Amino acid sequence: MTDIRRLTLGFAAFALVATQGLGAATATGSLSATVTVSAMAKLTLSSATVTFPNADPDSSPSIAAAEGPVTITAKGKTSTGATISLTLVAADDLLSGSDRIPISNITWTASGAGFAAGTMSRAVAQTVASWTNSGNRTGTQSFALANSWSYAAGNYTTTAQYTLTAP
Amino acid sequence: MHLMTLPRLHRAVLALAACALGLMFAPEAAAQPTLRLTIVPATITFAAADPDTTPSIAAPNVTVSYRVRNNVTGNWLISLLASGDLTAGAATIPITNVTWTASPTPPFQAGTLSRTLAQTLASGSGNVQNTTTGTVVFRLANSWTYNVGTYSTSVVFTLTAP
Repeated sequence: MTDIRRLTLGFAAFALVATQGLGAATATGSLSATVTVSAMAKLTLSSATVTFPNADPDSSPSIAAAEGPVTITAKGKTSTGATISLTLVAADDLLSGSDRIPISNITWTASGAGFAAGTMSRAVAQTVASWTNSGNRTGTQSFALANSWSYAAGNYTTTAQYTLTAP
Repeated sequence: MHLMTLPRLHRAVLALAACALGLMFAPEAAAQPTLRLTIVPATITFAAADPDTTPSIAAPNVTVSYRVRNNVTGNWLISLLASGDLTAGAATIPITNVTWTASPTPPFQAGTLSRTLAQTLASGSGNVQNTTTGTVVFRLANSWTYNVGTYSTSVVFTLTAP
């Protein structure tokens, strides 16, 4: 039995050495990487003011804003499947002292993916653009005022607020 | 003839012959490279950032320590392979959006992570008798298109010598 063990050990040593002689030596390490993406929204307007010049209602039934189209860049990060929305609401009607032009007389057309045409409201925020998932969108909004002989002379003003929401 | 039927002397001679045969290969055992590789820290985090102001998010430095012995004539290589894209539930960020810079160059080199093909981080030849370190800085290309979430993946560093 003693001799058999010696013989077995001899072959075992050979097998071990032969195995080490084959293939490359390797050493490994691991690194875990984590990325945190948080909800975020950013809105840029090309103009902070739009002006509707005086015009003859017969020849200009619709008055385009003197500044031309407003270019809007909206960027947002949201959860997968969620909707990012850009809305617009007026603070009030167009006012000139006690005179008033209903804000619903202002409408807009739009260009750009995700942007939509609409009518201004002082009661309910109107959707200007919307899309699903994170991303950025660029579009234009062209405002127009429905002209009328019924408007009293005056300088009318109001403000409107854009809200970009990335839930 | 059964082994048990051999005379004791013959069996002893066979055992010695087997050992001698093993010793003939012993020099190859001595030539087998001895490798050591350490990665610190084990986890890196890319912080949330505005893509407009931070288009590339840098993670904290990673220190790679390595040593190569018994590798007189061969080349050695440190490679990187991602286990997959960065994932957060069903949302993914392609792992190719992660690049790295490294120093010193050489032996280290810059690259882009892949989940399919191991990418070379460092390479050289011969021995590196003393433990040597390199610094790797991973960067994520930031984008407004990433959905909200906490994404993760792992990267395997492999030091290989023939």
